[in-house]
Amino acid sequence: MKKSKADIIRVLGPFPGSEQVHGVTFDGARIWFATGDGLHALDPNSGIVVHSHPVAAHAGTAFDGNHLYQISEDRILKIVPDTGEVVSTIPAPGGGGSGLAWSDGLLWVGQYLDRQIHQVDPETGAILRTIKSDRFVTGVTWTDNELWHGTWENEQSELRRVDPNTGKTLERVEMPEDTVVSGLEADGGDYFYCGGGPGGTIRVVRRPRTLPESKARDDDH
Amino acid sequence: MDSLINAAAQALATGNPLLALNRVALRNDAPAMALRGIAMAQLGDLDRARIALRDAARIFGRKHPVAHSRCVVAEAEIALVSRDLSAVPTMLAEAGTQLQKHGDHINAFHASVLEARHLLLVGRIDAAERLLGSIDPTNLQASLRTAYELVSSGIAMRRLRAAAASAALARAESAARFAGISALIAEVQSTGLMLKKPAARLISNCTEQALRLDDVERLLASDSLVVDACRYVIRHQEQVLPLTTRPVLFELARAMAERWPGDASREAMLSAAFGAKHADESHRARLRVEIARLRAEIAELATISATASGFAISANKAPRIVVLAPPTDSPHAELLALLADGEAWPSSALSLALDKSPRSVQRALDKLRVDGKVHAIGRGRSRRWMAPPILGFPSVLLLPGALPGS
Repeated sequence: MKKSKADIIRVLGPFPGSEQVHGVTFDGARIWFATGDGLHALDPNSGIVVHSHPVAAHAGTAFDGNHLYQISEDRILKIVPDTGEVVSTIPAPGGGGSGLAWSDGLLWVGQYLDRQIHQVDPETGAILRTIKSDRFVTGVTWTDNELWHGTWENEQSELRRVDPNTGKTLERVEMPEDTVVSGLEADGGDYFYCGGGPGGTIRVVRRPRTLPESKARDDDH
Repeated sequence: MDSLINAAAQALATGNPLLALNRVALRNDAPAMALRGIAMAQLGDLDRARIALRDAARIFGRKHPVAHSRCVVAEAEIALVSRDLSAVPTMLAEAGTQLQKHGDHINAFHASVLEARHLLLVGRIDAAERLLGSIDPTNLQASLRTAYELVSSGIAMRRLRAAAASAALARAESAARFAGISALIAEVQSTGLMLKKPAARLISNCTEQALRLDDVERLLASDSLVVDACRYVIRHQEQVLPLTTRPVLFELARAMAERWPGDASREAMLSAAFGAKHADESHRARLRVEIARLRAEIAELATISATASGFAISANKAPRIVVLAPPTDSPHAELLALLADGEAWPSSALSLALDKSPRSVQRALDKLRVDGKVHAIGRGRSRRWMAPPILGFPSVLLLPGALPGS
């Protein structure tokens, strides 16, 4: 298992009026983050909030290319990004959740205390599969066929890459002490966006490259 | 971390404990129990709140020092509010250290202020003052600053420093107004009323006069020789003669001082010191012995001379002699003084605060209840004692703002 220390590139926020950052997602241009009583869009270049919807947003946030998904208490809301309109809701698996990610037409819902990630049908909310982790699960994200989740246990947060079939931990990126990762999102490139929980900030962390250059090229053939 | 916990915490923060309870009612994990405890405390169900917080702290355990410590601090606050002084967790100081170590400075300050309040309530004024002295109040948030200044004012009151007590109260009030919490403002104001109430009586030349705390401070600083029946000492400015362990000598001195510059009759002195209803020769002999002892004790401050009917005291340097007595001459004035803070006290806390045996405190309370001077609520271990009128528990708990589960 590979292990490294988080390389924090940048800290966004805290944002006026928002004491907490729960879920985080990225729509290709803007970072969306959940603060309990609202869902806000942030321009990552300027660090300015450009859009806000008054939605109950208590945990994970995800984006499927068209819609935002937001865990709100015991439900998952499907939201139109431009208007904030809630177009449908499904029950959250297990009555609530921590992290949320979208991949391959499915939702992935992290469950904090149960230390697991459910694969969920976005239409019905039905649980299709469950991946067990050995740590409390906070944020969840997929990038380049890698499943990552945030964790917070023993006053220590990490970003963990786990095997999506077995749940086995493949890689750990340690955050500095007392730095919480509540939400997690990959930008599809070099960075992770990490919701900072009670600190009310979003940390930009460099994504470690798992494979050596030569190996990566071999895979391309 | 968890949508239901976050939703419940948000409901608590916006002052809706019932909504918060609904969201975590069926869960028995530590974060849910901690939030349930805080919600129940805000709703006034202090007993169940404490059980929930204690359970939450146990489940969090050492692996989650911050969450564990916040639960300990919250439980301590509830114990203090319900005057269950012996139940204030012994881990409070350790919890504060843990919170400080992990950067939760607000709750670490909160723990320190609570600890100082506890020390003050159990009468360990020096320790309370030392602890408060180690806190820098300049950057405290307004509600914490209020609590800090209230403790500081309480210490000044016990030390008979009226001006310092008023100044601390004024700072407490402005901090409470800044915080905008009306129950907190009310608490400061009711503390302020204590400064305006009679704190003691001045007995001089057979007349009585009620004194406020600032009058007491002025009196002790004056050039009078004060026979202080609140503390069983005789003092002249900086010079203090403790007679705490010599109650007979003290009562004799008091009997003469109350009649200064006149004399006290033998009968009056025998009655005051020995409770004797009539004087026979053996009483007179004992009186002579005790007077001789008292003469020796107070030789530096005063002189005792025999008169035709009894004895008279005169000061060596002071121009006058006065007696400082508790506001009421009830045999259990110190119990009533503690209960005068309007809180509901368990008898164990009173015995701790007075350093008297639980049994004798219990007896005194039962006697005062028969006289209608105190009321009891609850039964068995949860019984609480209050001075009338019966006041409810304070409705606002300054529980840690940050989420116990995060």
